[in-house]
Amino acid sequence: MPESLATPEPIQRLIEALHRLPGIGPKSAQRLAYHIVRTSPQEAEALARAVTEARERIRYCSVCVNLTERDPCAVCSDPRRDAGTICVVEQPLDVLAVERAGIYRGRYHVLHGILNPMEGIGPEHLHIDALVARVSTGEVREVIMATNPSLEGEATVMYVQRVLAPHGVRVTRLARGLPSGADLEYADTMTLARALEGRQEL
Amino acid sequence: MPGRPPRMIAAEGIVLRRRPSGEADALLVLLTPGEGRIDAVARGVRKPQAKLRGHVEPVTRSRFLLARGRGLDVVAQAETLDAHLRLKADLEALAAAIYCCELAERLSTAHAPQPELYELLVDALAALDAGASPAAVARYFELHLLAVSGYELQVAACVSCGADLPEAEAFFAAAAGGILCAGCRAEVPGRLLSVRAQKVLRFARRSSVAEFAALRMPPETAAEVRAALADALRAVLDAEPRSSTFFETLTRP
Ligand SMILES: [Zn+2]
Ligand SMILES: [Zn+2]
Repeated sequence: MPESLATPEPIQRLIEALHRLPGIGPKSAQRLAYHIVRTSPQEAEALARAVTEARERIRYCSVCVNLTERDPCAVCSDPRRDAGTICVVEQPLDVLAVERAGIYRGRYHVLHGILNPMEGIGPEHLHIDALVARVSTGEVREVIMATNPSLEGEATVMYVQRVLAPHGVRVTRLARGLPSGADLEYADTMTLARALEGRQEL
Repeated sequence: MPGRPPRMIAAEGIVLRRRPSGEADALLVLLTPGEGRIDAVARGVRKPQAKLRGHVEPVTRSRFLLARGRGLDVVAQAETLDAHLRLKADLEALAAAIYCCELAERLSTAHAPQPELYELLVDALAALDAGASPAAVARYFELHLLAVSGYELQVAACVSCGADLPEAEAFFAAAAGGILCAGCRAEVPGRLLSVRAQKVLRFARRSSVAEFAALRMPPETAAEVRAALADALRAVLDAEPRSSTFFETLTRP
């Protein structure tokens, strides 16, 4: 291809960098890259600075492993949050989701992933040891497993339950069932079985 | 874009693996009896309301309707035949099931009929679901998987000269494909197998999975059998199965 028709090298590098982000396909990466190079230099500079600063200033909370600017994080250092309850989630975004529900007053633990033996992700890749360490202080009464309802989520629940068993802590999980708006006819066996298990008195 | 409308293909299959793709899709690896391994995309299944969601979970046996166009097959419909719920509620059994599914993926062929392999996996998952020992099912699956994939282990006679084996400790060479008699035993890597371990392997080859899982054996024999089969798998696979570490750490004493 003649030089004049090829994508200029700096744009190509930007496309490649964007393409490595989760959920960004080659087409989206291309669109974003061309958008960025057409913005004002100030705007592009601000974007670059935001990326650099976020990366520099954000660290893991030494207690709950959530992402935070101050360590320990706001939840872990808030005396009004119940330290006897830990809600275990897969990702930092899940903390936000639970917070949005507005009824949880305990603390969190972020695993940063989920057991996925098929992809070679074992317990040693998750922050399970840190959870066990928190529980072994004896301060924790209940661990609520809030992993996603999937095979990997279930495996994670079973594994955590097992490693926490010697510590005598109560391990619970979010009720499973039919999502609102779901159609009974299309529900799969697992969902129906869980929904029946979690049925409630009327 | 001009093009023929996709062909619809109905097939029963087991979901060997599911990986996220894009915002809400999943890439599935299916094993079917008639077409072997198929890669297919399930659109939108990672959304909580998705109808297909639970029907395309790994380890689940489902009936599929696939739209076959120019690219990847697309799952048009899926309906669970067996969700293996008891297996999925037991950590060791689930780890064994995942391990078997991975091995099946690694040794299967895309778009070629493999009814024996399919039946083997169906039987292994059914046994795990019925509460059979996960370690025993895994050993049975490894041995029979090698056989249906064209790597039958010879443990009843010398793999090189066919001579009968005396009832004594014998030399098992994975790369040679089985036991070598004293005369044929060359400078190849291998391990000694006790008479008991040889008998266990022979029994596993001719029994059903349920019969084999019911067999009681001392832990040292189980360890020998496990090591021999691991050698044999290593000889045919280019890399260690990803899910074996997790399964082994759960089941090893
Ligand atoms: Zn924290
Ligand atoms: Zn020989």
